[in-house]
Amino acid sequence: MSSMQRAKQWATFSRIWHIYDAKWQNPFESAKLIAAYLKGQHKPIYHPLSDCGDHVVVTNCREIALPGPEWYQRVFFHHTGYPKGGATWTLAWELHRKNPTMIMQRAVHRAVGGTLLRKPLMARLHLVADAEVPAELLRHVTSQMTQLRPQPRRLDSYTEQEVRDFPKVFDYPADYVVR
Amino acid sequence: MTSLWRAVTCSAARSWPCQAQPRSLCTSPLVHVKKIVCAEEDGNLTIEGRIEPSPREGRVVSAHAGMCTCSLCQLNLNIKHTDVLILSQFLRSDGCMMPRRVTGVCRLQQRRVQQLVAMAQKAGLMPNLAPAWSKRDPKLRYGYRKFNKYFDESTIRDVRPFANLEARGGPPSVQ
Repeated sequence: MSSMQRAKQWATFSRIWHIYDAKWQNPFESAKLIAAYLKGQHKPIYHPLSDCGDHVVVTNCREIALPGPEWYQRVFFHHTGYPKGGATWTLAWELHRKNPTMIMQRAVHRAVGGTLLRKPLMARLHLVADAEVPAELLRHVTSQMTQLRPQPRRLDSYTEQEVRDFPKVFDYPADYVVR
Repeated sequence: MTSLWRAVTCSAARSWPCQAQPRSLCTSPLVHVKKIVCAEEDGNLTIEGRIEPSPREGRVVSAHAGMCTCSLCQLNLNIKHTDVLILSQFLRSDGCMMPRRVTGVCRLQQRRVQQLVAMAQKAGLMPNLAPAWSKRDPKLRYGYRKFNKYFDESTIRDVRPFANLEARGGPPSVQ
């Protein structure tokens, strides 16, 4: 094998570390994409038993966004295994307040499927609540995954001049008192 | 006999009220341009209102059926709840919406903007347009309200989002 072919072999079969920013993203939609990368379905050499999946580091898990009323409508079920009061139903916002990475972890756990491969795939998922990623994770990262939803901009993030110069849809009537 | 019948009809016409006479109905728009003509003859002043054909006949632009002339309908924009630079134009400094007599848009667009503004405020995208006593930072809200939320604009019941798009042959270009 020539040195060029050896480089291509390494590049094809090596395990890549991707980083994904979950800020303002729906965790359940993102989980489908993350699960595909964990399994290696984005590679042409994919086979479920080939162990060709990559690592994914998910940052800003605290800043995930859910649509409309889902924060107080989505419920996470847990059973301790013990009878008489072992079952709990926790609302999404309560769970997120206690552990900000748990919703993302639960979403990927479901998206990855119920096979025996789930355990090693979940072991390759690294969740970080904030924007600061630990150095031991960040040093392996070589690729970035694009976000699914656009991040909205707050009105106070625009300068006063930008707000003033933006085209206006209507003009005030002559007798209107601006307040 | 005929003279008697004529006399009866004349007296009857005078005594009957005006609403008994039939009103003229038209399905096409009438063009009535009156020309006031004053003529004086032998000390008699005759003021006549002569109905004449309009000089604009045949050149009037016909509006498409159902076309709304308000600013938002004419702009044909797909405004999302994240377009805060547009939505903030409809708000006062304390976050209250301006009434329709000030904004000048049609009823359906006003309702649509109202719902988009509610979505943007719930998502915490316009924290500076709030009452003086309120917590301006969305992170200081109670419970689930502090977490990020986004909305689907298609849940707004269809209230003319793309007004007149087909009739006008596409969205207008920005000058």
